[in-house]
Amino acid sequence: MIAAGCAVTGRPFEKASLRSNDQVIYVYRPYSYFGSLVKPSVTCGEDTARIGPGGYHAFVEPAGKVLCSVETETADEVEIPADPRVHYIREEIGWGTMIGHPHLNPIDHDLAQSEIQSCCVAEP
Amino acid sequence: MGPMPTRRFESLMALFIAASIAGCATQQPYLVAPQISDKTADQVADEPHASARPLPYKGRLVEGDPAELPPAVAQALSPNAPLTFTYREELTHDEYHIPMIISALDPVTYAGSPLGDYGVTANATLTIYQGDKAIADYTAKAHVSKSYNLYSEPKHSELERAARDAVRERIDQKLYGDADRIARAVAGPAPTVPE
Repeated sequence: MIAAGCAVTGRPFEKASLRSNDQVIYVYRPYSYFGSLVKPSVTCGEDTARIGPGGYHAFVEPAGKVLCSVETETADEVEIPADPRVHYIREEIGWGTMIGHPHLNPIDHDLAQSEIQSCCVAEP
Repeated sequence: MGPMPTRRFESLMALFIAASIAGCATQQPYLVAPQISDKTADQVADEPHASARPLPYKGRLVEGDPAELPPAVAQALSPNAPLTFTYREELTHDEYHIPMIISALDPVTYAGSPLGDYGVTANATLTIYQGDKAIADYTAKAHVSKSYNLYSEPKHSELERAARDAVRERIDQKLYGDADRIARAVAGPAPTVPE
């Protein structure tokens, strides 16, 4: 019950609507009890969101190179190229000394689409 | 009998400390998978450094980011050149993690032993066209990986940059190896000397 209470509740995964010169970066975080209390801020371009376990956030940015980053004790960054227009990044919380270390892992489309639809809901 | 147990305890402590220090992982360099080559060591040593000389031809970039090109190609760009370049790069990511339950119970984890690693593979393709005809086509692949531990870990952006740099260097090596042939193709057939 305690573990379930940490999971995000929201709408199931929906693809974001894009204008012609936009790109979208879906950052999702499959549920894991380990590190569930850690919700670091994920920044992609100009947008920042905190994603809980079992949640996702769609960062809609103008087409072009975008840097996504997250930080607690350590930091991770991913450089998103301009092409293609849809990207998926899986956020995970790993071992840390005082607080879990966040990781941003770029995931291929096919795998990411099946993962995000089964694991994650929109972060409110 | 008194000093013996103390001496044995001190020896064990020294052994434990030595093992702990040996278990501390130093900052690992990026591991780049070696490129398989048919050339001998002498042939490789005789080749000039890839970035030291410009290509003997120029081209226009019709596909690719001009800011993200192999150095030799970037040097060879010219808006009015007879050749055209298309360049593509693609990255794939991989990772390996020791299961947390195992690393949590293993004391070497806290001494800095690797908990896993992240890898990036860069695939690149460069095609050179003369009009509608492709006169050269080069592909290269480079894999970069780095381990992480409890106290330090690489950023994905660093690995991606290292993989891109490695694959661009390999494209450059192929370009320099084939430069004379392309230059001859651009120059066309040698004029015949009238009798």
